[in-house]
Amino acid sequence: MTVCPELLARARGGEAAARQALYAQLAPATLNLIRRIVGQRALAEDLFQDTMMLFYERLAQYRSEAPLGAWLRQIAVSRCLMYLRSPWKRARLCLEPVDGGVAAEVAALVTPGYSGELIDLERGLASLAPTARAIVWMYEVEGYSHQEIATAFGRSVSFSKSQLARAHARLRLLLEPEVQRPSCLI
Amino acid sequence: MPDLNSSPQDLSTLLRALPADAAAPYGYQEFERRAQQRDRRARGLAGGERLATACVVAVGLLAVLVRLGAMGGVGHPPAPGVPVVRSAPGPEDETLPPHAGVAERWLASLPEEPAIVHVGTRAAVLGLEDRIAQIDDLLSTARDSGDAPARLATLRQERARLVGTLVQVRYAEVLAEGSL
Repeated sequence: MTVCPELLARARGGEAAARQALYAQLAPATLNLIRRIVGQRALAEDLFQDTMMLFYERLAQYRSEAPLGAWLRQIAVSRCLMYLRSPWKRARLCLEPVDGGVAAEVAALVTPGYSGELIDLERGLASLAPTARAIVWMYEVEGYSHQEIATAFGRSVSFSKSQLARAHARLRLLLEPEVQRPSCLI
Repeated sequence: MPDLNSSPQDLSTLLRALPADAAAPYGYQEFERRAQQRDRRARGLAGGERLATACVVAVGLLAVLVRLGAMGGVGHPPAPGVPVVRSAPGPEDETLPPHAGVAERWLASLPEEPAIVHVGTRAAVLGLEDRIAQIDDLLSTARDSGDAPARLATLRQERARLVGTLVQVRYAEVLAEGSL
């Protein structure tokens, strides 16, 4: 995604219309990325708000070394990881509904653009643990390497690899068709 | 049905194919409104923090003063000619330890019937699985770096303990499902 340099300069100068135009251009992809990493819509909006506020605060420091969209994505990923690593996340997780929450999140997401297999995949992603989901998304879609993920989480490379392998296995299990197996006596 | 077995590339393609339009953000005006709201809240919190600090300091000072006052009263002998009045010890004073009253009140506050609270196991299971993955991670690192066999044994022991706990939680889930 490319941003017109003139628009960027005006936004840096604090012009409201330019900031609004930047928001319209960058916000959808940013919210989508955050929602994919943290799962819940309400929580994603909180982190999205943080991210965009930080983005405008730091806009003056942007040096055009990377595309503006990529720079914003870095801020978003960093905010998400800060949240996932915080002890409050664990406490909040205990208060979440167990199955109804996943079903409700998936139901809220499904739009006419969804095919059957994408609904299954969406359900599978929603049922992953937050850390595993973040690693899947960062590795498979955002293109982070295991080394970069390990650095971001402050863990080792094998942590990233094992989390990804477990997430793959769990997704595979969730996406397999249910087979009616005959019962047996042992 | 997505086929994740064929190659990891497929999952990547499928994930990228997930529609993004379901996550349309709120507008810029709403963003500005929320930003201002957060600023106000942050300023309010800063004021609250100052007030809370002042309260803590005041309570601390009060506690020190009370303590000093109590200590000052201990060593003073009664003035000559002033009769020393001692209250007669009641029957409870001799039989009960000093904290008995507190314990009695605490016991009285407990409900008469025990309450059964159903708690979801998701957080416990996730925590255990994360911990097991972390131990696996440590084990791999320890094996790669040729750590002492004692350390490997400790890690294996810890892993076995965690897996045992996970099995117990899963078993409890099965029992709970069966009883519903």
